[in-house]
Amino acid sequence: MESLEDRNNREGIRGWLDPSRYGWERVSYWLQRLTGVGLLAYFVGHIYETSSLTQGPDAWAAMLELTQTPMGHLILMLVIGMSTFHSVNGIRLIFTHGGKGLGRPGRPDYPYDAVSLNYRQKSGIWIALILAAVAMLYGASVLFGGE
Amino acid sequence: MKIHYITAIGALIVVAVHIMMRLVMPYSLSLEYENVIANYHNIPYLILLESILVLIAIHGFNGLRVILLELRQSKAWEDGVTILTIAAMMGVVAYGTRTIIIANGLGFE
Repeated sequence: MESLEDRNNREGIRGWLDPSRYGWERVSYWLQRLTGVGLLAYFVGHIYETSSLTQGPDAWAAMLELTQTPMGHLILMLVIGMSTFHSVNGIRLIFTHGGKGLGRPGRPDYPYDAVSLNYRQKSGIWIALILAAVAMLYGASVLFGGE
Repeated sequence: MKIHYITAIGALIVVAVHIMMRLVMPYSLSLEYENVIANYHNIPYLILLESILVLIAIHGFNGLRVILLELRQSKAWEDGVTILTIAAMMGVVAYGTRTIIIANGLGFE
């Protein structure tokens, strides 16, 4: 008989990224994590970037030359999109965790679609994606607007 | 998860104000050295920056801790991840606070 120690059920990052067995909410699950890790990396970079202020105007200007470029603006647009998705989807998750928007529990009937993943949840994920796209467009208009 | 949700909502509010401060004047002008240093001389804004630093550091590193704990479970791993993320969080807060304090003391000349 297989003992508990013999079971290798750790899937690691591959299992984390695999959306095939779990449906649409799995995409939201890993987008939430990927955007979270991306935003944490940006946050640490932003703290470092801002610290150049302490070395005077020349160091600040040198840092701006590095970051205020088309590539820097594209990265900022990505950060705007990531933060909008992470925030809106995060609010959906806070409500879901509190039991809001899950619907009533029902008898599991074939084809066993999860009752909890209803149109409210799916709409929430779509709203997060659409708002992220809108925020990125607004960010692009400010960053590349030429002012 | 309570700390994660509380810091998330707090961060949403303070980051919104922080972004609006970049938009009260043309974006490139708001990044000029004199304007940025002027922001650091404004005490309510200074408190806002420190709040952003603390709230996002807690939220971000706690989120990273949760992700790492989901990937693998053992006593050593969980203790190691918790200690490392708390140490990283404290390091980032200390470094950011240093910038805030020094920039607040800088003059305009």
